[in-house]
Amino acid sequence: MNPVSNFSKRPTPKTLLLGMCLMLWSFAAWSQYDDGKVLLTGGVGSIDGAGGGGITPWAVINGYGTRDGINAGVRYTFAYLPDYSLNSISLNIGFYDRLELSYAYSVLPTGGTFDTLGLVFDLLNDTVASGIEPFNTTIKMDIYGAKLRLFGDAVYNSQSLIPQVAIGGFYKENKNKVLLKTLQANKAKDWEGYISATKIFFPISTLFNVTARYTSANQTGLTGFGGGDKNDREIRFEGSIAHLLNKRTAVGVEYAQRGDNLDDRSVALGNEGNINLTPITNLLSGLGLNIGNTLTQLDESDWMDVFVAFAPSKNLSFTFAYAMLGNITLTPDQQGFYASFQASF
Amino acid sequence: MTFKSTLKSTATGAALIFAVSGFHTALAQGGPPFGESGKAKAFPGIPEGTVEAMGGEAGINLWVKQLFHYILLDYRIAPIFIEHGNIERQIALNTQLVQRVLGAGNEYLGASMSAAHGDLGITMEEFNAVVEAAYNACDAVSFHYYQCNQIIAGLAPFTFDIVTQ
Repeated sequence: MNPVSNFSKRPTPKTLLLGMCLMLWSFAAWSQYDDGKVLLTGGVGSIDGAGGGGITPWAVINGYGTRDGINAGVRYTFAYLPDYSLNSISLNIGFYDRLELSYAYSVLPTGGTFDTLGLVFDLLNDTVASGIEPFNTTIKMDIYGAKLRLFGDAVYNSQSLIPQVAIGGFYKENKNKVLLKTLQANKAKDWEGYISATKIFFPISTLFNVTARYTSANQTGLTGFGGGDKNDREIRFEGSIAHLLNKRTAVGVEYAQRGDNLDDRSVALGNEGNINLTPITNLLSGLGLNIGNTLTQLDESDWMDVFVAFAPSKNLSFTFAYAMLGNITLTPDQQGFYASFQASF
Repeated sequence: MTFKSTLKSTATGAALIFAVSGFHTALAQGGPPFGESGKAKAFPGIPEGTVEAMGGEAGINLWVKQLFHYILLDYRIAPIFIEHGNIERQIALNTQLVQRVLGAGNEYLGASMSAAHGDLGITMEEFNAVVEAAYNACDAVSFHYYQCNQIIAGLAPFTFDIVTQ
């Protein structure tokens, strides 16, 4: 797994366009620049690019802009798991503490089980496009997000239980159509919607967030959307609790429900999924390599993490977490450390 | 129904209830944000004895003095307070106010927050700058962060009277 090489290639037209937009925005919006929020009250950023926790969006508009201005942030996130490493670069812009736009590019190099499968599928003379190459299978996804704060105040409305509420959505484009077909996902591109409610209770120095996400994503879209010939969306619950230790540091936990679209589905090879893998598995079993179960996807696990976020200043924040992601498609027990670095401007 | 599906249904229902609570007044604490004694109705409640734990009137006064020290160092908000004049009187009145919102039950002899700030055109950035000065003042007088958050919780309801722009 080489987490850096996928970011070091020649800039694509999309990257150049994004860079130009950033430059134009920076000139035009400088007069509207605003960083008036109190430390940590803009949240950090989720792997989907939206402001909030690490794995779930919150109702806060990311960044330090108050309702009088604009603020933006860029973020790099890295998670190291036994069979994967997630790399994500994201950008979000908050407008007048009301609207947030975000973009994230996720890269998920795989290893372990996918490498083994890649070697096995190579035995089929490369004529079968599985999307799984030994030692070179990387999942990539673009995520476009938008969030609108509807009502409420998460920070100062301390006498009321009414939270700050926002609605938002993502449009996710997974680049690995062939791989997703092998995993029997229904679609490679899809949208999600969510509603979040966030509230800080200062007497107990604690923030609470709940999010209901309407989605059919598998592993947040990294293994596609839906399963088989269905793409049924459902509402999934996500929650965060963050305790403020001091004005620069918060610790907390997060939880995000996942779906079951690909649970117990075997990998499918061939245009019609009609390649019979039994002779291969039998051959390998005879050689002492029992990979029969490897070809069946495990029940997708709900995600959890425990985190600590530290903001030495309004321009910089760090988040470190231990992520417990459970089963990810063919691989069990995916848990490991996560780090995220955000610069706000 | 499996445990996982039960948890999903229960948690999803709770999330939706929390999220739409703005449309249901029964879930919001009704009435004014301060009790008859002037104590802020911050949820889940400012602990009894908070003022005493901060050194009583003397401790709060020390904090307010540090608050103004940091306010007058901040270019964003210093002119507002300087223009208002009589810093010593502002310190004395704010000492009364902070004790009162924390539940000391004392008298406050100053103007209401809306009357005192209505014409000033205070922005959210300026209000937040005072909050930042409040945290710096807490560090200066060695109030614990959790104690500082009681002050923030007590004064937070004034946001909507003070921020008028």
